[in-house]
Amino acid sequence: MERKRAVEDGPVEDIFLSGSIAGISTVEALPAKNLNSMVMHNFGLFSTGIENFFGIDGGAAVRLGIDYGLTDRWDIGIGRSGLENTVDLRTKYVLLHQLKSDKVPVQIAFKGDIGITTQKERRFDYTFTERLNYLGSLMIARKFNENFSLQVSPMVAHFNTLVLEDGVPTPNHTTFGVGISGRYKLNNRKAFAFEYLPVVGDRNPGTINHMAISYEIDTGGHVFQLFMMTGQWFTEQHLLTRTDTNILDMDFRFGFNINRFFGIGK
Amino acid sequence: MKKLITTFLFLFICSNVSNAQEYMSESGTAIFHSQVPLHSFTGSSDFLTGLVNLEDGTIDFYLDLTTLDTGIQKRDRDMKETLETGKFPFAEFFGSLSTDFNPNDTSEQPVKVKGDFKIHGVSREVTIDGTLQMKPEGLLVTANWVLELEDYDIVPPSLLFVKVDQEQKIEIEALLKPTNN
Repeated sequence: MERKRAVEDGPVEDIFLSGSIAGISTVEALPAKNLNSMVMHNFGLFSTGIENFFGIDGGAAVRLGIDYGLTDRWDIGIGRSGLENTVDLRTKYVLLHQLKSDKVPVQIAFKGDIGITTQKERRFDYTFTERLNYLGSLMIARKFNENFSLQVSPMVAHFNTLVLEDGVPTPNHTTFGVGISGRYKLNNRKAFAFEYLPVVGDRNPGTINHMAISYEIDTGGHVFQLFMMTGQWFTEQHLLTRTDTNILDMDFRFGFNINRFFGIGK
Repeated sequence: MKKLITTFLFLFICSNVSNAQEYMSESGTAIFHSQVPLHSFTGSSDFLTGLVNLEDGTIDFYLDLTTLDTGIQKRDRDMKETLETGKFPFAEFFGSLSTDFNPNDTSEQPVKVKGDFKIHGVSREVTIDGTLQMKPEGLLVTANWVLELEDYDIVPPSLLFVKVDQEQKIEIEALLKPTNN
């Protein structure tokens, strides 16, 4: 009997190892009924030196999150970060899959994220709406070969409320940026990845483009990501508008993400 | 009249099934059970393709291994890497019945098949216990056996530093429909 493949073509797998690198999301959405629980950390600034154990003693910023695949294209998630006690709700939808046949050469996904700052503020009495911030990002990626993938992600961030400090020029409610991310696989289990997030157009005073370099280990059920990043946040709207440290001054922080994947039925 | 037509149709279908010599399916089920310490998981596929020829006793089955689903995409990808499905996409069995089977008996009959099982580019002669049962819809085939990964040069993957067991329990089930041959 002639042997025939059950499926001749299909989506390219593992363009990236997980749904985000250090802080920037990738085109990878969770497949249906797959769940990813995440612990994302980073520490203080490396430039604080040995007295502060290169930032490790400086306290950690932590985001705990869960994402779940509703379909093979669409996932939803929730997370909470200790930074300003921010809760974020997010969703990602894969508009187009890159196909093995190359009939579709890129993968395109959209991500939306709403952040809610829940921290009590002594000076102001914010309404719920005033506590909201938003992100919209279109991610376009291609896996060029088994090892190398590249992504460009134009994005827009909006904050309903900004606090004006004396003597500081007016910051922007809306900021645009273009994320550039890549991954190079060293073998089936290990990879280097990077992300860079330049602001396009007006930027908030005193801010600097975020960047990170990551070493990723994939064990099958887990993806561990060890990185150095300049931004402190794990949500892109904050990375884009709040990063104020410069890697050239050794102002980066060590961090790591743990992604644990579960199957919830078949 | 309606009863007569129904009876005629039923007899026609039954006679067609019992006279058929060759049965085939492209939607059988294959399941494997795998174990790591303190944890077990299964993978399955509904793309098992099989052909049984009762005239000469030939049994021919194959499975596209990329269709196996363990419920976690990352584990599926690991499994495909372990089995090197890019180079060796199929698990295949080709052999023949080595015990008698009576197609006029509709009860489940235990049978043995002997032939070559091939996976990961390695072929070995095996004898597998299974059952055949003639049903109104076709021929029901079931079988199960234990596959030793090292016999097929498959290096068991580690799940977070814990090795997957060498023994994989395999089950198949397929309802094969009569072909026109």
